[in-house]
Amino acid sequence: MSRHLKHRAAGLACLALCAASLLTPSCQQPKEIIPTPPVDRHSPHDYVSRRAMVVAAHPLAVEVGLEMLRRGGNAVDGAIATAAALNAAEPFASGIGGGGFMIIHLAREKRTTVINFREKAPQLASPRMFKDKGEEEKEWRTSSGLAVAVPGALAGWDLALRKYGTRTLAEALAGAIAIAEQGFAVSSTFSSINKDEYERLVKNVPEGSTYLNEGLPYEPGDRFRNPDLARTLRLIAAGGVKEFYRGEIGRKLVAAVRAKGGIMTAEDLASYSAVELEPLQGTYKDVTILTAPPPASGGLHLIQFLNMIERWPVRTWGQNSVPYVHHLSESLRFIFADRERYLGDPEYVSVPVHWLISKDHAAAVASRIRGNRPLESYPFGEYKHEEKDAANTTHLCVIDRDGNIVALTQSINDFFGTGIAPEGTGFLLNDHMDDFAADAESINAPGPGRRPVSSMGPLILFKSGKPILALGSPGGTRIFSSLAQIVLNVFEFGMSLDAAIEAPRFFSFSSGGKPGPIAVEVRFPEEVLTTLRAMGQEVEVREAYDKYFGGAQGIMVLRDKKIILGGADSRRDGVGAGL
Amino acid sequence: MKKNCDVLVILFWFSFAFLAMPGNGQETVGIFEQPMLITSAGQNAEVQIAAVLARRAGLNYTLSKQATGAELENVKTLVLVLGASLKGLGAAGLDMDKERDRVRALITAAQETHVPLLCLHLGGESRRGQQTDDLIAEVLPLAKMVMVVKSGNGDGFFTRLCQPKNIPLVEVEKMADAQVPLQKAFK
Repeated sequence: MSRHLKHRAAGLACLALCAASLLTPSCQQPKEIIPTPPVDRHSPHDYVSRRAMVVAAHPLAVEVGLEMLRRGGNAVDGAIATAAALNAAEPFASGIGGGGFMIIHLAREKRTTVINFREKAPQLASPRMFKDKGEEEKEWRTSSGLAVAVPGALAGWDLALRKYGTRTLAEALAGAIAIAEQGFAVSSTFSSINKDEYERLVKNVPEGSTYLNEGLPYEPGDRFRNPDLARTLRLIAAGGVKEFYRGEIGRKLVAAVRAKGGIMTAEDLASYSAVELEPLQGTYKDVTILTAPPPASGGLHLIQFLNMIERWPVRTWGQNSVPYVHHLSESLRFIFADRERYLGDPEYVSVPVHWLISKDHAAAVASRIRGNRPLESYPFGEYKHEEKDAANTTHLCVIDRDGNIVALTQSINDFFGTGIAPEGTGFLLNDHMDDFAADAESINAPGPGRRPVSSMGPLILFKSGKPILALGSPGGTRIFSSLAQIVLNVFEFGMSLDAAIEAPRFFSFSSGGKPGPIAVEVRFPEEVLTTLRAMGQEVEVREAYDKYFGGAQGIMVLRDKKIILGGADSRRDGVGAGL
Repeated sequence: MKKNCDVLVILFWFSFAFLAMPGNGQETVGIFEQPMLITSAGQNAEVQIAAVLARRAGLNYTLSKQATGAELENVKTLVLVLGASLKGLGAAGLDMDKERDRVRALITAAQETHVPLLCLHLGGESRRGQQTDDLIAEVLPLAKMVMVVKSGNGDGFFTRLCQPKNIPLVEVEKMADAQVPLQKAFK
């Protein structure tokens, strides 16, 4: 095992060095910022800095973001440069064919805002659009043109830069273009995801596609280049986002979607806009939580979850102890019932946000939980949980010298999205229509222009009015559970940020009012699992560092020590670096 | 220039022959007959890759991810692609116990009808783990030949299982390299 880990650490080191070689002569990196990965990539390793930091799911993207900061860009510039670079370096998780949410804290103004660049359903979408497809419903929802929602990433990045950045979109795209052109050696993470999604890819891409290596999945060490994406990003850099939403790229996008049975039109693309929102606010003890509001659900559910946990002596119970895992799993099952019943796009349906995140609601739910055995049913809703293994999505955090912070989560949904890449463009299209409910009567049913409920939940936590922790994760419906466990590991169990991220995780849910199993990483002590089973809990044991539970990235500001800590998840290829 | 190319071609085939050769000189050529049934043991994604390699090798095959004994009719070789994938199991609506039962029943049916077993492990190091290893340990001793991507046998796990039973073990560097030895293994 240790040999395996050392190889992976060595791979990361090589990638970090590749990052250096990607830079033009005018932007060579100083020695101080080369990320130093731990020998064992899973060993907790806090990246430490005094002025600025970037954490993300790929070392090349981190380097691009850091270079932007080094050249005087602010956190928004750095975040967008990093987000774009992830399209090139981690193309299976996010990109201009997808969307997301970002939360921005502006230090000088002492103000926090959210940009919603979640994809929208095409105007021809209808509540029964998948149901009517019959037995192949699931495939229509994830692998066909019908699965593609109108992408929002570029509109969101552009809005953020224009309102809060100091650099142009062209400048922010430069690093991504360099990565796409020059390529990099794929990691074992990239390779294993490429293998897992092979069937979906061969269905939608030709054998000669960039996303396959001579028709087969990439193996660790193979070189991945994406010159088509570089050309696409150059066009956008020269002509602005209209090249994507109204130009030749858009025409190719619509043609690709319709060729695969989709309903998107040029008008859907042209009318897309990202929107700025007030953040959703909650508390956990003396910590204030600001996050993206619905249709993002990750932050909302995290606040619900922490409201319940606040009532219990978790520090006395101990991290990952039997009562801790039992009570938190029971809470998760109630939250999933609420999710099905109340969550939709607030532009179209009424979502009782303030009631859901109220302490009273948490108290009512918590009082139903028994300490010694699971409930027979979780009656707040009839959530039809479709258990998906995809850990998809990606998260990054940036803090600049002035204390501005961005936490950004973006996605193309499943790894490699639909697997559909518009001809000659090099980017993959999302399958976020799958985030709509299959039930045509659901509050989250597809409809024209609607945004599907998302599990994303980028967060910034504050103490005494000052930001202390920026955090987020991929991981689908596991996102808020994983984020809450990290928050508790830091604030209740006194762990350093990366130790909190690397610690063993668990997850549970309810489906149709019945409890799902408690999924745990195999690192949980056997006696804990035995006791949980004896209590009547079904336990599902997963890999030691399983992507299923996400790939969190965070930045912690320790004002008393005047240092910034970065934590990056080894469940994927997360790294950090600072100035 | 042409001479250099010739040398490279010779070196390529030499290195292939060296890498694909089992350690103890066991026979790995022409030992199976077509058609073959390719299925997964563990619902891994590599089963699809095995089918692509078989197609490229011009072999006569049927791919069935959840094959049962009934599908062995007219089949001359059973190819099991080894590796447990929780994602694949979930998508197929299976758990590991059910999958193990299916594989056991399939192998039993193959033994009863004298259909030999070829085992492939194409996922390398990343497709190892307790569940995969348990399944491999059970299935591998029944194989007539085993082919693995080298990184998956970095700890000698496959070697330790094959040697006592004198089962030919072919190691290849990468998945794509399995195409030629796969082709040669069939008459």
